[in-house]
Amino acid sequence: MNCEIARRMTETNDPALEQHVLSCVSCIVRTNARYYEAPAGLERKIRQSLRQEISRPLPWRWMAIAASVLLMASVAWNVAMLRSRVDPRQLVASDVLSAHIRSLAGTHLLDVPSSDQHTVKPWFNGKLDFAPPVKDVEGFPLLGGRLEYFAGRPAAALIYGRRNHTINLFVWPAAATADASQTRNGFHMESWSGNGMVFWAVSDLNETELRQFVGSYRQN
Amino acid sequence: MDPARRLALFEQSIIPHLTAAYNLARWLTRNADDAEDLVQEAYLRAFRSFETFGGTDAKAWLLTVVRNTCFTWLKKKGGQPAVEFDEQVHSGGEESTNVETVLLNQAALGSLNDCLEALPLEFREAIVLRELEELSYKEISEIARVPVGTVMSRLARGRKRLQKCLGGAL
Repeated sequence: MNCEIARRMTETNDPALEQHVLSCVSCIVRTNARYYEAPAGLERKIRQSLRQEISRPLPWRWMAIAASVLLMASVAWNVAMLRSRVDPRQLVASDVLSAHIRSLAGTHLLDVPSSDQHTVKPWFNGKLDFAPPVKDVEGFPLLGGRLEYFAGRPAAALIYGRRNHTINLFVWPAAATADASQTRNGFHMESWSGNGMVFWAVSDLNETELRQFVGSYRQN
Repeated sequence: MDPARRLALFEQSIIPHLTAAYNLARWLTRNADDAEDLVQEAYLRAFRSFETFGGTDAKAWLLTVVRNTCFTWLKKKGGQPAVEFDEQVHSGGEESTNVETVLLNQAALGSLNDCLEALPLEFREAIVLRELEELSYKEISEIARVPVGTVMSRLARGRKRLQKCLGGAL
């Protein structure tokens, strides 16, 4: 379409004209707008900087390597932590076993040496904010009591005997958990809950007799 | 890939589009020095991400990198806010074309470059890519990361503004 036709369309008020005008602007831009040629020397500069880029490892490349190493280390560490995360009950079991062995290794087995529960029980008064059930258990003479410290709070240790074996019965207030038993390094452990307290019996006594002790204690 | 071979491949396929890259950068920045720096930067960026080049359309791929480099720079500079036009709100808001403006003379054509420079960034981008680089709507929509409909709308409205600008120059 040339300008003569456009003029005639203007005179006849042809609606197709507007469309033409728009496409005409397009043509005007195509044929008359400035097309900027790249300055002389730009291509040489670019080729030069690309040469530099491949001739030495640039900081960004090292940073990328460092970042991926860090990422891998962090992932590995997290996986390791995840794997080493243990059941809280196992942590308690470790504490209980340590306390038991400590009590046997040193000279500090008993704070209150007494086979009389009516001596042992009042001894804890004023030392604990709970009253551990001190009971006589048939066949397992009470040897006395001791103060212990578990999970950031005081606990009672009741010591019972069976022949030459010692049983530590640890008691402290805690939320109820299921009964459990386990053996570690030749020591048997039995744990149970009741009256807002958790009980851990630990001894080198054989499993059957320790169970028998626990059964009798809980029945009394 | 061996770096030397990678460079050879890059230079062979991407360097030929240097003029298109410069022309786009020059129209987007409206400044010769900035355009030169940005094109150089864009080439480095393109080389570093050469893996993303699908091997089919080197020109459109390079122009995408140039465009993004320029837009990032323009936004950081802040002097040229990338005005995002709401196509819905703005379309149809302009007065109907005055048919007299079709009768352009040499004087009007002389002001064409000024009129094109005066266009809002997104319109200018669309017009330059379409009329000067002769890319398809689809290619422009990929470069500018907007739907094809938006490209068409920007082109139409950019042309109208140009026409109005040229008409005023008569």
